[in-house]
Amino acid sequence: MVAAAAASVASQAQAVLRGRLCDPGFVHSALRSSPDTNYSKLKYLVASSVSEACNNSVLLLGPRGCGKAAVVDMVLEDLKKEHPDAISVIRLNGMLHSDDNCATKEIARQLCLEHQLSFSKMASSDDNTEFIIDMLRECGLAHKTILFILEEFDLFAQGKQRLLYSLLDAMQSLTSQAVVIGVSCRLDADQLLEKRVRSRFSHRKLLFVPSSLEDTQRLVEHLLILAKDSGLPAKYITDYNSRLTNIFSDKKFKGILNSLMDADATTSNILRFLFRAVSYMDMESGFLSMESFLKALSSLQRQPKMDSLQDLSILELYILVCMHRLEDKEQSSYNFTSIMKEYRSIQDAYKTSDKYASTVCFRAFEHLLDRELISFGDNRGRNQALEYRPVKLLISSRELAQSLKLNTTCPALLQKLFDRERYM
Amino acid sequence: MDLSATPSRSKSKPRSSPAKPIAASAEPQMDPCTPSKPTPRRKSKSATSPAPMSPVTPSTVRRSRRLLDTPTKAAPEVPVKATPTPAARGKRAAPSPKTPAQREPKRQRRQRRKRAYYRKVVYDGGEFEVGDDVYVKRREESESDAEDPEEEECRVCFRAGGGVMVECDACLGGFHLRCVRPPLRRVPEGDWACPYCEAERAGKAVERPRPPEGKRIVRTAKEKLLSSDLWAARIESLWREPDGTFWAKVRWYIIPEETAAGRQPHNLRRELYRTNDLGDIEMETILRHCSVMCPKDFRDANDGGDDVFYCEYEYDIHWHNFKRLADIDDEPETKEDPNDEPYNAGNDYNSGTDEDSEYDEEEEPKSCFSARRNQSHELAANSRKGRIYGLQKIGIRKIPEHVRCHQKTELEKAKATLLLATLPKSLPCRDKEMEEISTFVKDAICKDQCLGRCLYIHGVPGTGKTMSVLAVMRKLRSEFDSGTLKPYCFIEINGLKLASPENIYKVIYEQLSGHRVGWKKALHYLTEHFSGVSKIGKQANQPIILLIDELDLLLTRNQSVLYNILDWPTKPNSNLVVIGIANTMDLPEKLLPRISSRMGIQRLCFGPYNFRQLQEIITSRLKGIDAFEEQAIEFASRKVAAMSGDARRALEICRRAAEFADYRVKQSQQSGKTSANKGDGVVCMGDIEAAIQEVFQAPHIQVMKNCPKFGKVILVAMVHELYKSGLGEVTFDKLATTVLSWCQVNRELLPGHDTLMKICCKLGESKVILCEEGSKHKLQKLQLNYPSDDITFALKESPDLPWLSKYL
Repeated sequence: MVAAAAASVASQAQAVLRGRLCDPGFVHSALRSSPDTNYSKLKYLVASSVSEACNNSVLLLGPRGCGKAAVVDMVLEDLKKEHPDAISVIRLNGMLHSDDNCATKEIARQLCLEHQLSFSKMASSDDNTEFIIDMLRECGLAHKTILFILEEFDLFAQGKQRLLYSLLDAMQSLTSQAVVIGVSCRLDADQLLEKRVRSRFSHRKLLFVPSSLEDTQRLVEHLLILAKDSGLPAKYITDYNSRLTNIFSDKKFKGILNSLMDADATTSNILRFLFRAVSYMDMESGFLSMESFLKALSSLQRQPKMDSLQDLSILELYILVCMHRLEDKEQSSYNFTSIMKEYRSIQDAYKTSDKYASTVCFRAFEHLLDRELISFGDNRGRNQALEYRPVKLLISSRELAQSLKLNTTCPALLQKLFDRERYM
Repeated sequence: MDLSATPSRSKSKPRSSPAKPIAASAEPQMDPCTPSKPTPRRKSKSATSPAPMSPVTPSTVRRSRRLLDTPTKAAPEVPVKATPTPAARGKRAAPSPKTPAQREPKRQRRQRRKRAYYRKVVYDGGEFEVGDDVYVKRREESESDAEDPEEEECRVCFRAGGGVMVECDACLGGFHLRCVRPPLRRVPEGDWACPYCEAERAGKAVERPRPPEGKRIVRTAKEKLLSSDLWAARIESLWREPDGTFWAKVRWYIIPEETAAGRQPHNLRRELYRTNDLGDIEMETILRHCSVMCPKDFRDANDGGDDVFYCEYEYDIHWHNFKRLADIDDEPETKEDPNDEPYNAGNDYNSGTDEDSEYDEEEEPKSCFSARRNQSHELAANSRKGRIYGLQKIGIRKIPEHVRCHQKTELEKAKATLLLATLPKSLPCRDKEMEEISTFVKDAICKDQCLGRCLYIHGVPGTGKTMSVLAVMRKLRSEFDSGTLKPYCFIEINGLKLASPENIYKVIYEQLSGHRVGWKKALHYLTEHFSGVSKIGKQANQPIILLIDELDLLLTRNQSVLYNILDWPTKPNSNLVVIGIANTMDLPEKLLPRISSRMGIQRLCFGPYNFRQLQEIITSRLKGIDAFEEQAIEFASRKVAAMSGDARRALEICRRAAEFADYRVKQSQQSGKTSANKGDGVVCMGDIEAAIQEVFQAPHIQVMKNCPKFGKVILVAMVHELYKSGLGEVTFDKLATTVLSWCQVNRELLPGHDTLMKICCKLGESKVILCEEGSKHKLQKLQLNYPSDDITFALKESPDLPWLSKYL
């Protein structure tokens, strides 16, 4: 009875935590209170453009996962609350709308949608451009600001950059009120602009960097500590919070966080880690423990290549070791036939039980190709038979050595062949 | 009034006689002899005319005069002071007036069934022109309509006249200077509220003085308007019906109380909104003139009389929303044809079509599906024809407070003038170039025969090329408006806005003729036009000035587009002047010799600005606003002049610095610190420096400093490997070996190969390094994207990797 109740509370808690982690608004809500963050700067910029009726353009740069899009969404949400009908938002994505005609059509469609006008798919690109310019003017007369949000901004900067030029040029007229927010992960996104477009672009940039250790700790606390009004029994909340604070102050946890941030310190990585930790929550006790964090860390730090190397058969390992030996012998290009020659010479020398026919070896070879542990060295040669095409090894010797060591069924001969080659 | 009975005419006569002499001079349209000869036709018509309106002057003789409406009234534009021609007398029944000098409708013989449109009508003692604002009476047979006192009564003593009166801004009541408690000596400057309104504002209950018993309060026209007893309207067109009555199409004004949003606190007392509601009214319902002004004029019209109103916004009665009037900031338009003839109602309205058609639905041509689809396409907001439907809907429900009430601080004013969109009043530092362009254009078009010419303007972006040419064209436009210049046609094209270079023919043809055709046909017509075979459009022999911005984008593989455009001016009688703007100095040399010989003769170079010129540009914009330190402007101009000489860059840097200063002020206000010192609201060198850093400095150093730990190791390892091998790139295999050996030596946790691969790809995505795709695994090649010195500088002192510096 008690276990069932505990399980249900645990699953409820898990659901609450998962919901929090998947909600970008909640994740970044701590930004609202802290001063002088990118959030407050962006909000000031857009709000002053709206209230002073001027045009602006800004670029948000930073590695992927640092929260640029989330900050933009937060700013938009805040502004929509403050000025309900003075803002209309047009969203474009460089991956979807990189073609100029497609992009102008999409802008026209979104404008029609925002203002409840009827849209026609058959209008030409010139019509759409004129429509956009007229709408900009009319909305400027009606004190409405149009916000253009261009995600994957660097992809818009390909080709003639007609869309960017016409947008930025339309903003030079007095009656229009528009703000262009570009979001990109390339740090040199503004260098990609042509000189004419660059001249019209105001080089405002906001840089987003991955968070530091203190920020990460604060974020983790903010996300995992349950508040009093989460809809769960109060006793559970207090127990849970106390356990969690114990974990946070533990040195091991700091070690976990450090090793996580050594590889990738962006917010999205932290969120992924926390999500897995919550998923590994112990259902019987209903609380998060150090094990759940450790399991999450190990699941994030998996090495797929090592895992696939562990799954290989002995013959495949033989083939890999033969390829390695050939590479060590400075043979620049080799194909399946030369590998077979090497294999047979080993078998002749050592008389092992692992001698297989050529066709079987070829099957193993194909399997290795599928796993992408080896690949062909040339792009052409479709008509050439597979046995004669040059191949290359895609795993490093270190990985191979490690996998041979870890493989329990690996014959000692293989290990010797590998090592001997190294020290010979 | 006795409009119908003939016998009563004698009664009217004595009434009319005293005023007749005055009327005769003021009403030249009247025929003083005709009162003795009424016709039955007149009588029946007069029975239908509505109740008379209250005239401005006390004479009621006007009514009788209206009865005597003779066809000679069709000549109102030219007030003929002399007695009407004898022909007019006998021609009362004849339809066609013979009086001279009028803009007559062309089809005279149809006058019985058609309207005759006029530009100006003299009616009832007032000259009403298209575009005038007038009062229109609202209720019929209202007694108070007959009263229209010239002067307002004082709200205290209730007597009109008797000294200077001052108007309260809140209740719009008039007060004698001496009736105000305390009495004033002269009219106070600025806003003034009467003591009663001030008391009400302070919250005290106050009793306004009541008029003495039995005295009727006579309201002026303005008061009636503001209490919804009169309307104000703007005359859009005037015509005379076949039956002789004069009608006008007017656009109504509305007072804030009658809108859906009601009166908002920021509305001025004398504010009106223009609507898009048109209506037809008889001219008899028009009272007299009033003036509705735009904000600029209203501020200057301190003594324009009682009938001055303020109008800034437009109200859509269908959608209940507001929009600013489009023609309020009168920017001279350079895009329209400067040779548009002045609006001639007589010419345009011949066919008698209803000009309400802009609100009519388009007719259904056929009922088949494709037609319906076409119709929905035509009515769609983004198609060419349907755009008007969509644009009408745009508007705002309530005029936002911050637009009206907010007083701009110095910083905000500075930011507004530094906007790229605001045109400066004059272009400093480009006088010589503008003079040259002006001479070039004038030389070409002023002579009797226009010589076709080409001018090539070049310079780096941001040096004011397009702006100078447009400024010269504006000046020419004003000269044309004042009549010193012959008509010409100006076409502006931007090469970057064309979908393809061939579309330029389409655009030119459309501007000349107004029709849309494909580019091949357009090319054909244009070749004919410029070789003199057959001219397009009405303005056949006018010189055409063609301005092509971003000329280098018209280059095609065989350069045929440029050749055609530059070949046309060389033909005789082409009347074409081409001005091309581009960035490259030697564009003509890059082209085929046959093109470069036509283009490269006259060139004008716009050099980049030096720091003095940039300083002058910025200070001329900021004249009168004290928000920048002198040194700050000089620093910004020197920096930009050293970099590129781009004026846009300089303005943007100053604006960004102003934004930083404003942000700082607002943050400190938010956090409660009172910024009592004025120094906070001024842009100082630190702000300029921050702005310059943002613009010119690349963000990669910051990003590198905040890399994850292994990312930093990877970067340093790359620098090390590239230095060691001397090659430009390193393979991932070698890099991974180095990284792992370093980590082993310095006792760090070893990362896996795949983790390293992920980090490398992420760095490559941000373009900190350049790398191939990750599917190549250990064969992936990597390169640095920034100089190794930058990496050294960024990672030298990293706190979490102290051992890293020994490898640098």
